[in-house]
Amino acid sequence: MNHTINPWLRGVIVLILLASMMPLVVPMMMAVSDTPNIVFPPRGFTLKWFSKVLHTEEAQASFLFSLKLAGVVTLVSLALGIPAAAGLVRFRVPGKGAIVGLVLSPLVVPLIVTGVALLQVFSMLGSHATFLQLVIGHTVVCLPYVVRSVTSSFMLVNASLEDAASVLGASPAVVARKVIWPQVRPGVLAGGVFAFIVSFDDYPISMWLADGNHFPIPLYLDSQIQLSFDPSIAAISTLMIFFALLLVLVIEKVFGISIARLAT
Amino acid sequence: MAISSSETLALPPLQARRGLQAPPWLPGMWLMAPTVLFLLVCFLYPVLHVMTLSVTAQTVDGANVDGWTLANYTRLFSVDLYLRILLRTLRIAALACVCCVVLAYPLALGIARGTPLMARLVTVAVVAPLLVNVVVRAYGWSAILSRNGALNQVIKGLGIADNPGQLLYTEWAVLIACVHVYLPFMVMPLAQAISRIDRSVEEAARIAGATRLQTFWRVVFPLSLPGLSVGVSLVFSLSAAAYVMPQILGGNFSPLLGTLIEQQIVSLSDWPFAAAIACLLIVVVLASNIVFLRFFNRRFARWTAGAR
Repeated sequence: MNHTINPWLRGVIVLILLASMMPLVVPMMMAVSDTPNIVFPPRGFTLKWFSKVLHTEEAQASFLFSLKLAGVVTLVSLALGIPAAAGLVRFRVPGKGAIVGLVLSPLVVPLIVTGVALLQVFSMLGSHATFLQLVIGHTVVCLPYVVRSVTSSFMLVNASLEDAASVLGASPAVVARKVIWPQVRPGVLAGGVFAFIVSFDDYPISMWLADGNHFPIPLYLDSQIQLSFDPSIAAISTLMIFFALLLVLVIEKVFGISIARLAT
Repeated sequence: MAISSSETLALPPLQARRGLQAPPWLPGMWLMAPTVLFLLVCFLYPVLHVMTLSVTAQTVDGANVDGWTLANYTRLFSVDLYLRILLRTLRIAALACVCCVVLAYPLALGIARGTPLMARLVTVAVVAPLLVNVVVRAYGWSAILSRNGALNQVIKGLGIADNPGQLLYTEWAVLIACVHVYLPFMVMPLAQAISRIDRSVEEAARIAGATRLQTFWRVVFPLSLPGLSVGVSLVFSLSAAAYVMPQILGGNFSPLLGTLIEQQIVSLSDWPFAAAIACLLIVVVLASNIVFLRFFNRRFARWTAGAR
């Protein structure tokens, strides 16, 4: 019995994938167009919009701010998420179901509602610590991904290896470092990478909590879309698409995590 | 010798910790405490606060009036405009589900039933756009759907229509973008469900004389329903709660519940009413999860019992 995909079906698959690439390809084409306003099909070829964007101070500042924010959020999420995952898998804690529900609930509540709720409480407290607010808001959303990913790798840890190590005289610290960590590492890396991406890409939470001095790149891009119509917006989009591609390559080569694993 | 020593020394890890005086779960509690505390203070409390705000306060002439009230909810359900926005949100979420189902089956079949190379290529092509910022993708769609956008230029170039109208700032633009952005969340659960179907079942159907289409409709489709219900609940709740796409592509002409919340707070500072909309949004998302995952899964189980 042959299991190859029917040629018609293969054609349909190719068409759907091509269509889903369009919103990424069209801005790229426009970004190199040699006209002061956006036209399609693009005319001429120029890289001036890229250099314009790369020399814009606000764009640079937003990008660097997003990197810094996502980095801090990733570290905080891992610091909170790894012990929580270890606790969930390794101990029979009373009320475990409630704790799992609490940890995963930020995935269910719409992001825009989480953002509003945080803004309401922060403004009630009269807080002006914008960076801290953003870190808190993003960490709430990133934590579930970290806990889920680390939990699933903790469940695969082979307990008899730990027993073997401690029988042979390894201290708990050595067991943790040499036996448990190598087995948990893939889940930790996947969770960390996902937390970074979720934070770097977030719009609905940052929208409420950011201010002019703390302006993540998605907000900057949106403000440019509202303000100007020249191809430099297409250039920023293209740069962000390339940044995402770079992330994919780094994830695959350095961390050895397949994107398919990240998504599930 | 080796066997007997391991039998006496290697105690099961949980029992080994039981002998201590403190309850065995205490270290686990300590490990989880920071995360639980963080989420209680920085997530649960704010969300519950918004919920109570929606029933304890309302805005009268720009000033907050306290006390138990359902005024925000009666306003939400009695004013025609808000009702239309609620219906539009539900309609777009439902249509996004339908479109995603139709588009996701071929892709999921490609992942679950294609050659390893094809499965990998399709997976990467489906999942990789998830890493591209949603604002960038919304911008991409606006570049395609605007009056001078790529789609209209192609239509004019091919001579199909001289002066085509634009899709940007309509419900269609929001729908198209939602389908594009949330399609992976339908494809992945479906692909997992289909790859779990035993191929011999399909072979049996084919040997028994079923066409490819019949095999799909009578065998693969019913058996993939558990994955479908997961995908539908994800796409429905994500589309219903979408904010960025309606904001950039719908403009002021077709706000959804998410955009309505923003308008109420940013333009009108009406926190209590915005809180009521936020609660409605949470209810819509939770209800769709419960309906699709619990109720439909039970139905599906009965339906698929026949297919097995």
